[in-house]
Amino acid sequence: MAAATATTETKTTGHTILRWIKAAAGWHLLLAVGGVVGLGWLWAGGGTERVIVFKVVASLLLVALTAVNALAAVDLLRLRHRGRVVSLAVNYLGFLFCLFAVMHRAGGFTGFNTLANNFGRALPFLFLALIGVAISNLGENPGANRKMVGRGITAVGGILFLFLAGLATAGRALVISLTDPTTLILFVALFPFGLFLWAIWRQPAAARLGAKNVDNEMLIGWAFLSPNFLGFLLFIAGPLLFSFYVSFTDWDAFGNANWVGLGNYGRALNLTLAPLADAAQRANEVLDVRVYDELARIRLFGRSYVIGAQDKLFWIALGNTLKFVVFAVPLSVIPALFLANLLNSKVPGMKFFRAVYFLPSVAAVVGIALVWQLLFNASVGYINYFITQITTFLGLTDPKIRWLSASDTALLAVVIMAAWQWLGFNTVLFLAGLQSIPRVLYEAATVDGAGSGRQFTHITVPLLAPTTFFVLVTTTIQAMQIFEHIFIVMGTNPAGPANSTLTLVLYLYQKGFQRFEQGYASSLAWILFAIIFAATLFQVQRQRMSGSGYDA
Amino acid sequence: MNSHKLRTAVKYLLVYAILIFFAGIMLFPFLFMLTTSFKEPKDTFNYPPRLLPRTGLTTMLDGEEVPLYDLEGDEGRKAYALVESNIRIGVFASIADPEQTWELPPIEAKPKGGFTNQEKTIFNGEEMLVYLITVDGREIEVVQVGQTARGRFVDPDNPQNEIMANVRLSQPMEQLTARPQNYQDVVALQGMDRSLTNTILVTLGVVLGTLTTSVLGGYAFARLRFPGRDNLFVLYLGTMMIPFVVLVTPMYQLMVYIGWVDNMVALIVPWIFSAYGTFLMRQFFLTIPKEIEEAAVMDGASRLQILWRIFVPASTPALATLTTFTFLYAWNSFFWPLVIINTGNTANHVLTLSLNVLRGRASDSPNLILAGAAIAILPPMLIFIFGQRFFVESATSSGVKG
Repeated sequence: MAAATATTETKTTGHTILRWIKAAAGWHLLLAVGGVVGLGWLWAGGGTERVIVFKVVASLLLVALTAVNALAAVDLLRLRHRGRVVSLAVNYLGFLFCLFAVMHRAGGFTGFNTLANNFGRALPFLFLALIGVAISNLGENPGANRKMVGRGITAVGGILFLFLAGLATAGRALVISLTDPTTLILFVALFPFGLFLWAIWRQPAAARLGAKNVDNEMLIGWAFLSPNFLGFLLFIAGPLLFSFYVSFTDWDAFGNANWVGLGNYGRALNLTLAPLADAAQRANEVLDVRVYDELARIRLFGRSYVIGAQDKLFWIALGNTLKFVVFAVPLSVIPALFLANLLNSKVPGMKFFRAVYFLPSVAAVVGIALVWQLLFNASVGYINYFITQITTFLGLTDPKIRWLSASDTALLAVVIMAAWQWLGFNTVLFLAGLQSIPRVLYEAATVDGAGSGRQFTHITVPLLAPTTFFVLVTTTIQAMQIFEHIFIVMGTNPAGPANSTLTLVLYLYQKGFQRFEQGYASSLAWILFAIIFAATLFQVQRQRMSGSGYDA
Repeated sequence: MNSHKLRTAVKYLLVYAILIFFAGIMLFPFLFMLTTSFKEPKDTFNYPPRLLPRTGLTTMLDGEEVPLYDLEGDEGRKAYALVESNIRIGVFASIADPEQTWELPPIEAKPKGGFTNQEKTIFNGEEMLVYLITVDGREIEVVQVGQTARGRFVDPDNPQNEIMANVRLSQPMEQLTARPQNYQDVVALQGMDRSLTNTILVTLGVVLGTLTTSVLGGYAFARLRFPGRDNLFVLYLGTMMIPFVVLVTPMYQLMVYIGWVDNMVALIVPWIFSAYGTFLMRQFFLTIPKEIEEAAVMDGASRLQILWRIFVPASTPALATLTTFTFLYAWNSFFWPLVIINTGNTANHVLTLSLNVLRGRASDSPNLILAGAAIAILPPMLIFIFGQRFFVESATSSGVKG
């Protein structure tokens, strides 16, 4: 009796499921047709895209949409599991797309701006909700009653919070935006996407379409990864590819772009060398001044030459950046290694010092740059005051350094500031590396009669190599991209006296966001990336070499 | 044995001396920031520089508030009130004895022979006018050799007791003070309260978003098998190396295209998909024993339940590490907000942007600028003091293991 009922039930659900699957197939067919129509509209003069790349990308997307939906429809009708996978993907992406598009058109994203208006008054209720969560979850074994009360408080607090934070306003904005036909279509489309997503996902459909455990794990895997992966595609991988394309155009941030090939890269890297009749000859007599500016003069084998650069500032920026790296990296790594060794000698209060050294790396660069700007003040700043005190004490002449306003010391000032900020972070990294070296090795070395100097060179240095490598690489990468320190500390003229603090990223910022030569700025970014990559590879290579040397 | 102890003691002393020296270097700028942020405006450009904020003492004299100075008078060193400054004083030298000089208001020197027909003399090879001054009842012939300015100080207890002294060289009487008003001023001047709220919201959004996507993605990479997973993971690792500046221009163009330029959402949404966070969570999830999970699967728990009930509670250290890392990144970021938010749109400013504007507007008031800097710097620092462990772990986990 019972078995018979079960069979009938299975039969009815089986029929319902089949109907659902057929309906989903129909829906995909509809989407495929929609793709074809969209393609026709795009090439029949519809759309307002001026840039051909966008048009091509849109066409490709539409073709893919048509093909994928057709595939989904056919496979679903044949009850193949591939159909389920494709259908789920399409419906999931379609649902997300419509959801975000509706949110976007209803001002849901730009609405973040007004959040600060209402957030303050809503905040107490957020705390109320949190208290509710605490009540229902804390303690060894919360009883059912306490759970109920806690959940109730959470619900009331949460609803009041959302309401006061502007949910009502957002809802009203949504309703108003639905009067726009496109938004309305997107909103309505949410329902079939959601509905078929649910219908094809659930267990009966999965069983009917022959889903195995592996298939389910794959689907769940992609579902879990999807928020991350979609964001990664849209906000990291996509922009990277786009940036690469833009670096070959003269894009100006307002959508006007012409293909210039390698022109941007050429403009940055173009150098020329011209011989001079004598060292004092004017550069414009030998250089094509329509293209080149004088960058530097050199003497080779008794002859004078002048180096001309098409973009002189790029080379100055590159030079300053390298100079900065050469000074800032050792200054923030070597003392760090030294301090880490001191901290590692098991002195009481080690944690306190570690915390103090780490402090600068927690602070906002903008804030500390403002502090250092005052410390570097040439007339009343503390640094010159200390120098005066020391020189007076030692009976030397006071150098009266003008720090930020002199072209030969401005970059040095930035080096000091940056090293100060990075030193503690590197110390903590070194300390962790040191602590991971087994004590036994040192004890054995002491037994063998090795002094602390030999212990350092024969145990600490080789075993710390991975940490040293990491510290060097990250500090170098950071130093290559120095921008914020300089932008703030140099005040109204970030490039500094005689462009002495113009670095690559600062130059990129000026080109890309002050003069809006974004194509050129993109090519600068890729050149910088190439340099960083090369520097990293160089260090990897050295690390490998020294590593193999140690093993042998 | 004793010499060994001595050597250890000396060694410790040396180690501490160095550690303390560096601690001083690390702390001094922050100390300077804090004390300056409580200074009075006129107390900010002193030389030699002074760390602690001070205020001049004053007293009420004839219904007016006047500053007090510490001066050497007839009754020894005591407090005098400055009642009149910038009194012009002539320096007069005796013709008979050029070494002897007097400082007097010019009005007290009478021209010898009258104004219209004043006598002249040759003094130090120069022709000069001769004056007569009265000293102790005697009239002395003098010439004016210089001019200076003096302040008139009176003893507040005995207003008859007056001294003239150079104001700039006199020592004002001061006491330590604190001017919390600076913080109110900077909030009023630059709307730092709004930007503080914005920074909190942006940081909250970025942290919560990053945690969500990283936990989900990390779990998928660590525990779910699906085709393409491992290649994708390598791709993620690859993008971790790409510097932010490469992303800046295309991201800006994307924001222009979506219409998010000058909106706070541009500070949040693009930054919640962190390859680093995903990597960190995956590495941690890999260390959780599989048996617990398999038992839960047997009991019919869904993957989401397993993640929420087992994996998330078990990975508090990793979550805390990721939270601190992301928190610092979001709170302190400057380049991207500078690019994406207009300078004029202060309603959407985060703290770093407000500071950037403030430094131009209040360049002559270090006390205000550093009060603003303190508002931006102190919150992460306070959190650091309480959660030091996680900060240190976030520093080391980014390195030693990777």
